[in-house]
Amino acid sequence: MQMRSDDRLIAYLDGEVDVSERREIEAWLDSDPAARDKLAALAQSAALVRSAFDEVMHEPLPDRLIAAARGERVSAEPSAKIVPLRRGPGTGKAPAARSWWLGLPLAASLFGLLLGGSVAYLSVAKLLPGGIGGKQPAVEMAAADNLWLDNAVGYFKLAASAGDGALVDVPATGDAREAWQKISQSLPQEVRWPDLNLKPWGLNFRGARLVVADGRPAAQLMYTTDNKAIGPLTLIIGSSKEPDTPPTLARRQDVNLLYWRHQGRAYALVGQTDVGYLWGIANDVAWQLDAI
Amino acid sequence: MSLSQRLGSQNLAEAPVHLIAGRDPVSIRFGDQLIAVLPRLRRFARGLTGSAVEADDLVQAACERALARQHQFQEGTRFDSWMFRIVQTIWIDQVRSRDVRKEGGEVAEDRMGSDEAVRRVEARLALGEVRRAVDRLPPDQRTALLLVTVDGLSYKETAEIVGVPVGTIMSRLARARIALQQQLESGGGMRRSTDNANAQ
Repeated sequence: MQMRSDDRLIAYLDGEVDVSERREIEAWLDSDPAARDKLAALAQSAALVRSAFDEVMHEPLPDRLIAAARGERVSAEPSAKIVPLRRGPGTGKAPAARSWWLGLPLAASLFGLLLGGSVAYLSVAKLLPGGIGGKQPAVEMAAADNLWLDNAVGYFKLAASAGDGALVDVPATGDAREAWQKISQSLPQEVRWPDLNLKPWGLNFRGARLVVADGRPAAQLMYTTDNKAIGPLTLIIGSSKEPDTPPTLARRQDVNLLYWRHQGRAYALVGQTDVGYLWGIANDVAWQLDAI
Repeated sequence: MSLSQRLGSQNLAEAPVHLIAGRDPVSIRFGDQLIAVLPRLRRFARGLTGSAVEADDLVQAACERALARQHQFQEGTRFDSWMFRIVQTIWIDQVRSRDVRKEGGEVAEDRMGSDEAVRRVEARLALGEVRRAVDRLPPDQRTALLLVTVDGLSYKETAEIVGVPVGTIMSRLARARIALQQQLESGGGMRRSTDNANAQ
């Protein structure tokens, strides 16, 4: 079938012509400046169309679609809440709104210490797997789970909102491994530093700080990348006396978490990237740390 | 192939099924596959409907239909193509039932966004012109354009999703690309959009 000239150029651009036809079209392009201009214009408009719809790919997935994909109804899962510094006798008391502190990176370090200090005195129950829409655990256990997950989200948001100005205990200036060794020494167990600046992720280690996870000291590692579809990300590595739990997906507000416990350590990978990336990065973390 | 295409489905498909406790492994894998392809489905649906809300409604409906008919999915065939087909089928049904076929450059105002403030901001973005130009295309041309030019599927894969011969896809795509280019050039969108894209 003899194609029209436009059809041929478009098929050529799309890589949908065979070898002989490609040669024929290239000979035509060599001899016809108007055809070359047409080809350039078509290529430009195709690139524009791709750009016009590219931002959708970088948006966080709505909860309702994740729930629909899993065959679940959108759960009334509590959103991330600020952890109260003191627990009053009435546990049903509404927690303080959390949005007010998100823009206060200067207070982040102090806030983290206070938060961690209070959480350390709370009894942390066994973390139940279940993920999004999973079985609702008992009230007290759910409260403990929420503390752990809410803290992880809170730490992430503090780091993300501060950007390059995020307060860290050990900055990753110079040799990142040396920075990690310093923070690792503050932990009861030696843990290794996962390098995520490899393969497709390109996540740069920006520093680490001491936080509290599962009621114990932990390290929060911060990673950033120019690829907004992936970063920023934080990884919390701490110690835990709780039984192993498999990696479980959870979501708080617009933040995705993948958390698990393994051989005395607790992990939480946190970010606004989609869960596909999160699984992939968690696989790399697990492979490097032998953590799953 | 985009990064998410390569990584999303690959990692989820290879994720050990025991990773989420207490769930049926088959359902977990199916759900994970669905989640991995959601960004692409949303982009496709956004292009089809021209509306973020309608697009997510469409994708949600597609997820529900896919789960109800997961027994019909044949292992070894492409999951993403199957999902694109479901999205496209539901959308065509919606278009027919609403009788909102748009021809001759007619633009449905409600597709431009219901929020006036959002619309004003959108109008100032040059890439918004490109999206509106896509929205003016007839449904069959828009579908071909989104699957081939935006998502990078081959003509053959697109033909299988849409259920027409490859030659028909080629023809629809050519008409779409030419019409799009003419619209952008006549509206000055090509120049401004290029500037905008370069600035990003």
